[in-house]
Amino acid sequence: MTQVILFNVLNGLIVGAFYALMALGLSLILNLSGVINFAHGGFLALGAYLAYSLAPYLGFWGGLALAPFLTAALGLIIERVLIRRLYGRDPLYSLLLTFGLAFIFQDALRFLWGAQSVPYQIPGWLASPLSASLFFLTGYRVFMVVIVALAVTALFLILGYTRLGIRIRAGTLDLDTVSVLGVNVRVLRNLNFGLGIYLAGLAGVLAAGMLGLSPTIGDTLIMPSFVAIIVGGLGSLPGTLAGGLLIGIASGLTAVFLPAGTEAVIYVMMALVLMVRPHGLFGDAGRLR
Amino acid sequence: MKNLEGRIGTIILWLLLLTAPYWMPLFGGYTGLGTRVLVLALAAMSVNFLLGFTGVLSFGHAAFFGLGAYGAGMTIKYIYASTMLGLAIGVLVGILGAMIIGAMIVRLRGVYFAMVTIAFGQVFYFVAFRWSSLTGGDDGLTGWKRVPLDLGVTQIDILHNDIAFYYLVLVCVAVCSAAMALLLRSPFGRTLLAIRENERRARFLGIPVDKHIWMSFVCSAAFCSVAGALYAYLDNFVDPRAFRWEQSGDFVIMAVLGGMRSFWGPLIGAAVFVVLQDKISSVTDYWMSILGLLFVLAVVFFPRGVLGVVKRKQGL
Amino acid sequence: MSLLDVRDVSRHFGSLVAVDHVSFKVEPGELRAVIGPNGAGKTTFFNLISGLFPPSSGSILLDGQDITTVPAHRRVGLGISRTFQITEIFPELTVRDNLLIPVESAAGLRLRPWISRADRVKVADRVQELLESGGLADKAERLAGELSHGDQRATEIMMSLALQPRLLLLDEPTAGMGDQETRDVVRVIRNLHKKEGLSIVLIEHDMRVIFHLADRIMVLAEGAVLADGTPAEIAADERVQAAYLGSAE
Repeated sequence: MTQVILFNVLNGLIVGAFYALMALGLSLILNLSGVINFAHGGFLALGAYLAYSLAPYLGFWGGLALAPFLTAALGLIIERVLIRRLYGRDPLYSLLLTFGLAFIFQDALRFLWGAQSVPYQIPGWLASPLSASLFFLTGYRVFMVVIVALAVTALFLILGYTRLGIRIRAGTLDLDTVSVLGVNVRVLRNLNFGLGIYLAGLAGVLAAGMLGLSPTIGDTLIMPSFVAIIVGGLGSLPGTLAGGLLIGIASGLTAVFLPAGTEAVIYVMMALVLMVRPHGLFGDAGRLR
Repeated sequence: MKNLEGRIGTIILWLLLLTAPYWMPLFGGYTGLGTRVLVLALAAMSVNFLLGFTGVLSFGHAAFFGLGAYGAGMTIKYIYASTMLGLAIGVLVGILGAMIIGAMIVRLRGVYFAMVTIAFGQVFYFVAFRWSSLTGGDDGLTGWKRVPLDLGVTQIDILHNDIAFYYLVLVCVAVCSAAMALLLRSPFGRTLLAIRENERRARFLGIPVDKHIWMSFVCSAAFCSVAGALYAYLDNFVDPRAFRWEQSGDFVIMAVLGGMRSFWGPLIGAAVFVVLQDKISSVTDYWMSILGLLFVLAVVFFPRGVLGVVKRKQGL
Repeated sequence: MSLLDVRDVSRHFGSLVAVDHVSFKVEPGELRAVIGPNGAGKTTFFNLISGLFPPSSGSILLDGQDITTVPAHRRVGLGISRTFQITEIFPELTVRDNLLIPVESAAGLRLRPWISRADRVKVADRVQELLESGGLADKAERLAGELSHGDQRATEIMMSLALQPRLLLLDEPTAGMGDQETRDVVRVIRNLHKKEGLSIVLIEHDMRVIFHLADRIMVLAEGAVLADGTPAEIAADERVQAAYLGSAE
């Protein structure tokens, strides 16, 4: 029993790290630009497929390194060409725009790479279990957590210590003031969007190694990411991270006792959090409106 | 003048709707398609009650659409085979769901409100998906049929006669839209407009904003669950996709496509949406991306919707 | 008993003290002005009285009843209504509907899904009355957002009056107005005060307006009360002069 619980908690943590990675990207974009990016799942799938297509030439590592950047580049272009037009308007419009984009993404991926799911090759030494007693803990799972941890650390270092990061954080608090201080808000939002999409692309490559590839791979992951943001607290990136890990562990634990409830439990958590703290665990109450 | 034009427009609209089963075949349509337009139009109008007339964006109305659908289908399958009883129970379940969810989210606004409504919609999706012994799971709820209406003196066979079913749906749409129109013209409806226009001003006129948003949310969900129940009757079938966020998104798109500041806009939007979907999906497998492209173009270039553009052209 | 009795109220935003231990009374029928340099905490003080947010400490009494924690929309029912520094109206509704909403709210009809003929007539009459006294009768069917700045201001004041308040809070009612418009607004305020005996608190930058209208003036500086007295006393107060000359107003 302990073994089973341990397995599920660890598993939940891994899944949670994954949700967090995706939710952080969504949260960055939401906080600075007020856009809910429904196409995030599409970008994630694109990252996965790009890595898949690059792997024959560049190998697993080349794909892992390059695919997220290519995904982010497309993100920069889409922000520049489409999303930017809607910043001044009611948030409804950007939401519908990304909703439409999500549809387009799904069909485009299906067109380019086929509707069938395909396996994604990972290096042999990562695929084998770490030890006989911890048979479930493959090297790849550990590897995933390490990469997520590195990415999250890098993100917080960027936000904390680089000029771009400090401006993003300032813009999140008060965009008007940042603009008056001479920061080019359009460029800032563009780069911030790219940063968020980079995280989606990275999440995609990692997911491909665990789940295989299919055009709808992002669909099952985007809702838990929304929940991670809501539970963690609106406007707080550390909150988003914590929210992702929390719901991951919660669904892992539920898998032990009530397997049918693994998906529903995160929404129950969300409801509980909203009842007690409408602005989320680490959120800023002023952002509710 | 404006009022007169509006009235003429409404009369023409109703004449078209009343005669639809007879003129639609001339343009390659069929009765089922018309019924589908009406059902989805009602759902889009209910979403627009909240979006266009209260200023609150729900991206999770599929929850109430699905509750209405499952409520109606399961009533007929498990409790008692009556079309009207199914409808009534479906709507009650939808209202109950909206009262509970609404109470948890009325303090949120804007994109955050939208995001939380999306997430709540998913709960019902997973319940319907997982609880397959009761709901049929992914295969959907089957093994039941809508029942002919028994009016005592006579029966109306809405089961086998598609045209009769069309008129039943039209009656429901008429009743619901009349109720919405009356609500919007009442003092209560005006407080909703006030909230849409300027929440702070509304509060300082003595209107408890959160409470009124909650009430509007519940009203809107009630109408949406009527649409859901009718949707289940349409194919004598309902599956968990009725609960999905894509479904909610479709409703919002229909409302915006038609013009969310106009009462009948969502109906136009639904007609455009359903007919396009029907035509494009018969030509290509990639109809989703074409619809997606349409959304993107509509949002970027015609944010005021079809009716909005028409009105502007006329200089109104 | 004072109509409004604000006792030792403070409000902090993080480490910023926006309102610092302010006490303030309004007697029935009095017209009180609040002045002070920019950033003195005047609008925050209004927000505390009208209930936009609660004070960090201190208490607020209306007719001796503690309303410190009463939410904004219920304070309206108790008789406090306000205007804002930046006009807050319903831009896409007609002027008539802008006034109809507060009239119905004050008549207790806001939850009615229908309205009786008798009520409809009563409400329409009251709206007409307000339209006329605000000089808006000929613009009743226009969208409020299309009106001139002065007319929008008038609409907002009439909306506040539609609530039949006992205490009216006006936040810079003449801001951004030309001379003629300013004179019109001053006349409206004076009428409300002198003829109808309404109690009014006024934030204003235009000193001519204040010294014309106010019974008593409170001067705020950096959130705290600098002086409080009749217009003559305030005009003679050296600290007030220093504060104003110092800030080069």
